[in-house]
Amino acid sequence: MTRLDSASANAADVIAEEGLIGDPVPLWKQTWQRLLRKRSGQVGLIIIGALLLIALAAPVISPYNPNDVLIGTEHVKRREAPCIHLLGCDLAKPQHIMGIDGNSRDVLSRVLHGTRVSLMIGLVTVTTALVFGVLLGAIAGFFGGFADNIIMRIMDVILGFPSLLLAIAIVAVLGPGIVNALLAISVVSMPAYARVTRASVLSVKTLDFVAATRVLGGSRSRILFRRVLPNAITPIVVLATLGIATAILDAAGLSFLGLGAQPPMPEWGTMLGTEKDQVFSAPHLVFFPGIAIMLTVLGFNLLGDGLRDALDPRLNT
Amino acid sequence: MKLGILGGVAMVSMTALLAGPAFSFEGKSVAASDCNYGGKIKSIVATDEHTVTFSMCSPDPAFEAKAAFVSFGIEPSEHIEKDGPKKALLDNPIGTGPFKLDAWNRGDSIVMSRNDNYWGDKPSYKTLVIRWNQSGAGRLNELHAGTADEIANLSPEDFDTVKNDPDLQFLPLASPNTLYLGMVNTVKPFDNVKVRQAIAMGIDRERVVDNFYPTGSEVASHFTPCTLPNGCSGEDWYKFDPAAAKKLLAEAGYPDGFKTKIYYRDVFRTYLPEPSAVAVEFQTQLKQNLGIDAEVTPMESGEFISKANSGSLDGFYLLGWGADYPHITNFLDYHFAATNKQFGNAFPEIYNILNKAGTIADVKTAEPLYAEANNAIKQLVPTVPIAHGAAAFGARATLKNASLRPFGAPRLQDIDPGKDSLVFMQSAEPISLYCADETDGESLYACTPIIEALLDYAKDSGAIVPSLATGCDANADSTVWTCHLRKGVKFTDGSDFDANDVVASWAAGIDAANAAHVGNTGSFDYFSSLWGSLMNVKK
Repeated sequence: MTRLDSASANAADVIAEEGLIGDPVPLWKQTWQRLLRKRSGQVGLIIIGALLLIALAAPVISPYNPNDVLIGTEHVKRREAPCIHLLGCDLAKPQHIMGIDGNSRDVLSRVLHGTRVSLMIGLVTVTTALVFGVLLGAIAGFFGGFADNIIMRIMDVILGFPSLLLAIAIVAVLGPGIVNALLAISVVSMPAYARVTRASVLSVKTLDFVAATRVLGGSRSRILFRRVLPNAITPIVVLATLGIATAILDAAGLSFLGLGAQPPMPEWGTMLGTEKDQVFSAPHLVFFPGIAIMLTVLGFNLLGDGLRDALDPRLNT
Repeated sequence: MKLGILGGVAMVSMTALLAGPAFSFEGKSVAASDCNYGGKIKSIVATDEHTVTFSMCSPDPAFEAKAAFVSFGIEPSEHIEKDGPKKALLDNPIGTGPFKLDAWNRGDSIVMSRNDNYWGDKPSYKTLVIRWNQSGAGRLNELHAGTADEIANLSPEDFDTVKNDPDLQFLPLASPNTLYLGMVNTVKPFDNVKVRQAIAMGIDRERVVDNFYPTGSEVASHFTPCTLPNGCSGEDWYKFDPAAAKKLLAEAGYPDGFKTKIYYRDVFRTYLPEPSAVAVEFQTQLKQNLGIDAEVTPMESGEFISKANSGSLDGFYLLGWGADYPHITNFLDYHFAATNKQFGNAFPEIYNILNKAGTIADVKTAEPLYAEANNAIKQLVPTVPIAHGAAAFGARATLKNASLRPFGAPRLQDIDPGKDSLVFMQSAEPISLYCADETDGESLYACTPIIEALLDYAKDSGAIVPSLATGCDANADSTVWTCHLRKGVKFTDGSDFDANDVVASWAAGIDAANAAHVGNTGSFDYFSSLWGSLMNVKK
């Protein structure tokens, strides 16, 4: 089997061997290097990196517990505007960089902890959707025929609904809550992965190295999972990165409508939803969670764009 | 005596020679065939030109409080009989009030002019204009700009803006209401009275009111607000005592609390200005003070109300009540009657006393019974009364006498704007100006300057004062009420006001078989809800 492995070497490796003198550079390393050269990739990576750090360190860097009601412990008013000592706020008053919310909690601590919730939402939904979407798409593309028809028509039906509307319908049936919201978003984002995987598998499975494995007697599952899928994965990686942004946005939308994260969980969409009526009287309560959502989505979008460029051979010759 | 059948109802017309030899008064009447129809009213009879007698099926000490409601306003009998069946009363109100309708510019304004023949104190200005704007910020803008002189329903977050503006005045509205934390005693662990008492003691209600209610709101000392006669007889509610509450909870077998939910609907009410923030506050307090883990669960409004009323919510719920009429029965009998399931099984210890008290018209005589009922509520804790919320209107500082009364629409006629006209801005356009068949505050506000009822609500309390009747007397057990009408009053169409106008106006509402019982939707909700049921409803 060693002979087989080297004969059907990874397509990227083959290209690398042909194009380069000396040791081949692995695809992931090439991509990483190209990503670092792209402006959008750089900015995206910085934002995501910062968010990851914040999420990991949230309990350490938050000045308060996100669910601590400060009534009685501190002399603050509900929905008090931000008080930043550096910007001239009275030193006698406790510092609240993003102000106080409608239940007298520190908004900064809630926004920082919200990073954890949002990143978790993005990663969990996309992973779930990815696993099932890729599996279904690969089976459809690789085996074709009846399986292809059944799987792809079901995906078409799901795609037939506006995604957020379908998610709302699913949550309405299952009942509001963060887990159900995650499930709903996973279901509605699955068809995109299935479609892209199927298309990618369809084009890869006709390539010569697949035919070679088949001729050498490789089993069907070995061909699919060891030869075809690894070579079909690039467009899916890009889609998944962009998908995290969409998932976070959808989850925030569901929470805004009261269908996703339930109080007192510090989720940005919930924070926006509960304080939306105060947009004129206490704008800081919608401004900061809104900015947080925007930055996160922007970060994943930029990273996704950068990845797409980095993985596109036509842009990197 | 002649007997006429009109629209399937017995309309008895009596020829009585009571008004002297030159004039004979033919008194109208409306009556139910028997008392099995479920309503309170047996008959309404014009016994003479200036006397109307209401006979009740069961004692009704709240008769005066209910009869003062503007939905039971009086219009000329000819007008009712001629236009009522044609659905033509909706935008053509004829009353005895201080103003008469000039024009209803749909989508824009209602213009009224002074009734110069008004029997009472005439308004100091000529023209009253009612306008509307749905947005609280929009109404405040108009008030700032001076395009409105008084605005209804200030947003709680604008209270301070209006108070601190020297050009404006803040008009607190003491409309009696109560927010309560509901529990259903058929659901574990709320079936245990010690658990309910622990919750009653374990919630810092002052903290809720101080932080989440606009100034002027009060912590509830009793289920009924104190502005209602006898509302606050009996002991005050438990003091906040988390240690004692914890102990009770441990005795009940829940030393570490339990898991439950807090249901609410995300709808602004005077008794609950910020539903979601208050729900989270209860969640926090239950956790901190009692170790109870309560999940906050908002529900769709209609579903929430129907589940709460049927007692099928398996946790706490945040609901409240705003008074319909200034009588304690409107609070206690509604919530704690034997038939009410919203707190689970009703308590005979409470409703037996209420049934006894409900036959007594005299406030002083009824007081010991209501004290007993309030103490029983405190002891059994079917629910925890939390707060009486404050509401407010805003007005230009130049307006004199612009105060609001606890019941009924604002008496705009008392205001002295210092000019010829007054612009009042409310939240929405009236649905119609035939208020017998309307329930929304905006329609009732607009009817009030035009239409008057037999009695009226006082300017500064829940007391009842004379209006078109100089008074109504009850017999010993409050089953017969005799109202003596004011003499010499004219409608704005020039006709004289007499007892037949009263009977015709009431009959159009209470008697479903009356030819004029058309109204707007025809449901006449206040007639059916305040008087038990309509007569002659087709099954």
